[in-house]
Amino acid sequence: MRFRTIAAGALAAATMLAGSACSAGSLGSSDDEGGGEGGKVTLSLLVDNSEDTVRAGEQLAKDFTAKNPDITVKTETRPAGTEGDNIIKTRLSTGDMTDVFMYNSGSLFQAIAPQKNLVDVSDQAYNGQLDDNFKKTVSADGKLYGVPWGTFSAGAIMYNRAVYAKLGLQVPKTWADFMANNAKIKAAGKVAPVIQTYQETWTSQLFILGDFHNVLAAEPDFPDKYTKNQAKYGTDPAAVLGFQHLQEVHDAGYLNKDFASAKLDDGLRMLAKGEGAHYPILSGTIATIVANYPDQAKDVGLFAIPGTDAAKNGATVWTPNGLYIPQTTTGAKLDAAKKFLAFVASPDGCAAQTKASAPTGPYGVKGCTLPAEVPQVAKDLQTYIDGQGTSTLALEFLSPVKGPALEQICVEVGSGIRKAQAGAALYDEDVKKQAQQLGLEGW
Amino acid sequence: MTTLRRPNYLLSVVAILVSVVVFLVPFAFILLTSFKDRTQAAELDFSWPRNFQFVDNLMAVIEARDYLLIIAFINSTILTVASVTIMVVLAAMVAWTLQRRSSRWNPLVNILVLSGLIMPPAVVPTIWVLQRIGLFRTMPGLIMVEVAFGLSFCILLFRAFIATIPRELDEAAIIDGASPLRLFFRVIFPLLRPVAITAILVQSVNVFNDFVNPLYFLPGEQNATVQLTLYNFYSQFNTQYNLLFTDILLVTIPPLIMFLFFNRQIVAGMTSGAVKG
Repeated sequence: MRFRTIAAGALAAATMLAGSACSAGSLGSSDDEGGGEGGKVTLSLLVDNSEDTVRAGEQLAKDFTAKNPDITVKTETRPAGTEGDNIIKTRLSTGDMTDVFMYNSGSLFQAIAPQKNLVDVSDQAYNGQLDDNFKKTVSADGKLYGVPWGTFSAGAIMYNRAVYAKLGLQVPKTWADFMANNAKIKAAGKVAPVIQTYQETWTSQLFILGDFHNVLAAEPDFPDKYTKNQAKYGTDPAAVLGFQHLQEVHDAGYLNKDFASAKLDDGLRMLAKGEGAHYPILSGTIATIVANYPDQAKDVGLFAIPGTDAAKNGATVWTPNGLYIPQTTTGAKLDAAKKFLAFVASPDGCAAQTKASAPTGPYGVKGCTLPAEVPQVAKDLQTYIDGQGTSTLALEFLSPVKGPALEQICVEVGSGIRKAQAGAALYDEDVKKQAQQLGLEGW
Repeated sequence: MTTLRRPNYLLSVVAILVSVVVFLVPFAFILLTSFKDRTQAAELDFSWPRNFQFVDNLMAVIEARDYLLIIAFINSTILTVASVTIMVVLAAMVAWTLQRRSSRWNPLVNILVLSGLIMPPAVVPTIWVLQRIGLFRTMPGLIMVEVAFGLSFCILLFRAFIATIPRELDEAAIIDGASPLRLFFRVIFPLLRPVAITAILVQSVNVFNDFVNPLYFLPGEQNATVQLTLYNFYSQFNTQYNLLFTDILLVTIPPLIMFLFFNRQIVAGMTSGAVKG
């Protein structure tokens, strides 16, 4: 008898819970569905979950609502990396995307089928205000689909200025100078000349990806030929240098001792504390140094990965992320979404992002200026971007061909398991599969 | 050999040491890191915190993203309780019928149960189905997904156990005039207690710890479950390790308490259906 009542009770409780659970999370202050009433519109905005992005999203939403009291913006977060790619693709293909969303520009942007999924914004007034390099990376078939979110970053070498000052070193313009600096740093002892962190495999690719400015300086038609399968990393004398550099720093014993097991955070710590002198990495990671080691952040600077010719020295840059409207956004929400994009693509939008957290590079909107107290890395990067011919977009923006196994191959070459030449040849094989999947001609 | 085997003290000590290393050391690491400040936590080493700021970390975690953690705990509780209840009752019914009444459908049902264990779930088709029946983005939808994924395991668990219950009990109850439902709820289900507790515990932990299903099937800020709150502090380029580990600590507590209290029953239930199949 007793048990029956318990069982019945449990069943009843379960049904009740399931019923009441329709309102999951109704603790939130207001309803999710914006729309009609009183001309008020609520936009949902999907951003990735890094601390700075979330803060920028909330600040942009706040400042935008201050200017447009009828529109409120609610931010949602998603993971970054592969998991994030899956979420974006899943939500787009099931018609469940938020009203506005932030996502990578360049090859990942091309992978979400912009013609089919996104709203064309070429006719908007801010079109002329955007950086030309950036526009290339969020356009498909000559139509513009997004506005810049965040700042430019570079694949370059972040270095410890305190170590440089102590040893009286100059910023190197050629690879030979760079290796000479490394030799002096090693001779002085204690400090590891080059930091590598192969536990997080993506960090291994910078010597190759960040070397692209030098490849292009030597061979201006490399991206075209590469896409058409006429140039290869294994056979091209300029392109293979990246792999050779990776091997050289390992063979000369310049790496930190724990390069095989260190992680990104370890690398940044070593750099900030002066336990390592050079770290080839994306410049955006300076945000972590600023947050974790505020006192040492000013000691960290940036220079482009040096090539063979000092006169052609320059940085390989990645464009900011994009902010896009999916085609599932319609009616009053679409108008509001377009207003929001216009706000983000204006100097006011940059100001809001600067207010949220210190920018780590230049913005992609004309008329936006950096405040005086930005990190040294951002200033160094700005000089490369402002200079004539001292910056180049990364290869992934100029050619759709990028193999999935580059990071693993780089770890092998950088750990001395595989020779540079063999690694480059293996990467060409890896790329072939991807190019064939894309259905490119000549493969 | 007539001598009694002496207890092997050396082996016991080794076993205890191994379990300390495997279970307690990671937990101590979580605890220590959650006490640290951001700079020291980023070093990710096993060290004594330089300055203790557990309360600050705790408040930061709870307040993050507009008190998302509290909503997430409510969501997770609803999800876990509802889906595990449905799962256990349904699985017990299915297992009982399968075990007691043999018909030509049995092989088919068995194949379906097994395929539930073998086949990996596909995300996009599942979302399409949920959208078609209007359950996508709702808690009942996610509950049904969890039930579907956990049911097979529970059925196998219950089936093995029901085989050990003598058929004479059923027959006696039927002769006394019990209807099938009455027979199940008043005679059989109470006897399933040990294995039911095992199923409840194992599945509660599974559902509570589930990360992928809530991520895809219940999107939206207000719908987060506790596991998803970890992403508030963990991202590709910068991670706040002190807050991340404080969050992990908070999230680990409910399953930990369940295990501490029901430890004995779990082992008993696991082995209770093991001999007779």
